Amino acid sequence: MIAPYLTAKTWLHHVSAGWKLLALAAISIAFTQLTDWRGLLAAAAAVLALYLLTLLGHWSRLRLYTSLLPLLVGIGALQAYASGWEIAIASIARLAAMILLADLVTATTPMLAMMDALSPVLRPLRRIGVDENQVSLAVALVIRFMPVLLNEWTKRSEAWRARTGRRPPLRLLAPFAADVLRLADHVAEALESRGFSIKRSQERNQEENKD
Amino acid sequence: MPQSGDGKIVLRNISLARQDRPLFGGLSLEIAEQRVGLIGDNGAGKSSLLRLLNGLLLPDAGTIVVHGLETKVQRARLPGKVGFIFQNPEHQIVFPTGAEEIAFGLRCTGMPSQQADTAARAFLAEHNCAGWADTSVSELSDGQKQHLCILAILAMTPSLVLLDEPFSSLDLPSRMKFMQMIAALPQQVIMASHDLDVFADFDRVIWIDGGKIAADGAPSQVIAAYRQRCIDSIGRTS
Amino acid sequence: MFDTRDIVRISLFAALIAAMGLFPRLDIPLAGGVPITLQTLGVMLAGALLGPWRGAASVLLFLLLVAVGAPLLAGGRGGLGVFFGPTAGYLVGWIPGAFVTGWLMQKHWPGNLFLRAYVGALVGGVLVIHAFGLFYLAWKVGMSLRQAVVADFVFVPGDILKALACAYVASIAGPRSLNVPKQPS
Repeated sequence: MIAPYLTAKTWLHHVSAGWKLLALAAISIAFTQLTDWRGLLAAAAAVLALYLLTLLGHWSRLRLYTSLLPLLVGIGALQAYASGWEIAIASIARLAAMILLADLVTATTPMLAMMDALSPVLRPLRRIGVDENQVSLAVALVIRFMPVLLNEWTKRSEAWRARTGRRPPLRLLAPFAADVLRLADHVAEALESRGFSIKRSQERNQEENKD
Repeated sequence: MPQSGDGKIVLRNISLARQDRPLFGGLSLEIAEQRVGLIGDNGAGKSSLLRLLNGLLLPDAGTIVVHGLETKVQRARLPGKVGFIFQNPEHQIVFPTGAEEIAFGLRCTGMPSQQADTAARAFLAEHNCAGWADTSVSELSDGQKQHLCILAILAMTPSLVLLDEPFSSLDLPSRMKFMQMIAALPQQVIMASHDLDVFADFDRVIWIDGGKIAADGAPSQVIAAYRQRCIDSIGRTS
Repeated sequence: MFDTRDIVRISLFAALIAAMGLFPRLDIPLAGGVPITLQTLGVMLAGALLGPWRGAASVLLFLLLVAVGAPLLAGGRGGLGVFFGPTAGYLVGWIPGAFVTGWLMQKHWPGNLFLRAYVGALVGGVLVIHAFGLFYLAWKVGMSLRQAVVADFVFVPGDILKALACAYVASIAGPRSLNVPKQPS
């Protein structure tokens, strides 16, 4: 699985994830205060310039947003019709600027760094018994099994096509979902036989916190 | 309580019910050989027996002591001594890359993450699989996945390795490679398999039938008896 | 709160939601980049088959991964950008959506599993999610509520079909998911 994180090093790569997230939050709040369409358009242009300059040579990334364009245009048109074009431009400019800024953070921050930066956000979850070990295991499981599930579905899809020449009906999802649940049982069994225990990892957390 | 030093497995008067149906009743068994095979029909109890030995299942009655650990009482310590290889490596590999998979077991024993990662990479390098450290597991073949599973178990330095039909998803060359690996293991090995040829060099084979021991002894004899029974049962139904 | 089996189920369903973003389209392709694809069906299924809490946890896990940069949304999108876009409301709405779907399905009304699942998916998977999406559109993007409803309406029929599909799957795979006895410990 390829993350939209760019391994090429830009100047932004060297800024810590925490700072980037804070900056993003601060700018997003500032943007909500701006209402003048001219100011917002200028700000959006500035953001676009920053985006293109920082990600020089990687502009193909913008292709990911092509599906968003019709949506933005639609929203803009609706608003222009109902509230006037100044408000429409202001909205779209604000949206586009924020999306680009946020993407800039994503492009220059590896997943692990993001997770570390977000871990204080996850800390309150400890009170309901969810700790970082469980979260990192869960994340690993998702990354590990996403291609497995995709592959499984593709195999069934192809088998169906081989038999009927048509695309598979949603009906096939039922046994597939049942198999996902069965897979979960197997994996849980394998985890336990490796010695993974939630209780013990929680106890270890408590010990680490005491130090 | 039955005494058992390292290298010995003692089951005393085991009862176990699976899915509300009794499977084992009053089963007693002692295993001290280095290479032991389990054969029998599906549902006869091979898998359950293996799971009793690593604590995944606990007996309803009776005691099991595995290399000095009593399963009901010291269950948490069993994974450190007993490695388990499942039928399908796809179910068993939990992490997306080789290094993470190996490091996971080490972390479960309490090793801090950084240390576990370094140790895992060193372990892979030792076994000439350093390339797997950062490779996505989905890019490995079934044989390689099963190999990784074995490595993940060995990294925990177990004294006993249990295998539940590990060959099902392997092609012939992978199977042969796997057999070589198993033959070279210094640990005690107990393996269940439908592939009867793999037990040729084993010390002992136990045939489990309907929760009972139908035959127990030298591989050639027990396997021959099992084969004969299978042939007879087909003859009767046709 | 969760045991090992719960964590695995939650994770696998998050992986399923991710995988469904890549399933070849079975529906009429809907335009606009709105995250209303087969993934919404995955969200409903998480709620229906795992129950309200684990289902919601599954969606939360999925969104966490998207937020830190994994390209798990249909179309290979991911990262913080999506949470600043116009469809952020829908995404966030997935969490209560899964919860309500699961919660309603577990209610012991008269009526068979399919019906309970269908109502659950309709209310949770369609009503709740679209409500969140709508309100966010109106609030953050600055549209009026009326405009937002118009913009949203295009995608409702597709989601009603998905709710139907969810109900079908849940009626078959459901009983096993919620009633499997645990191993003796």
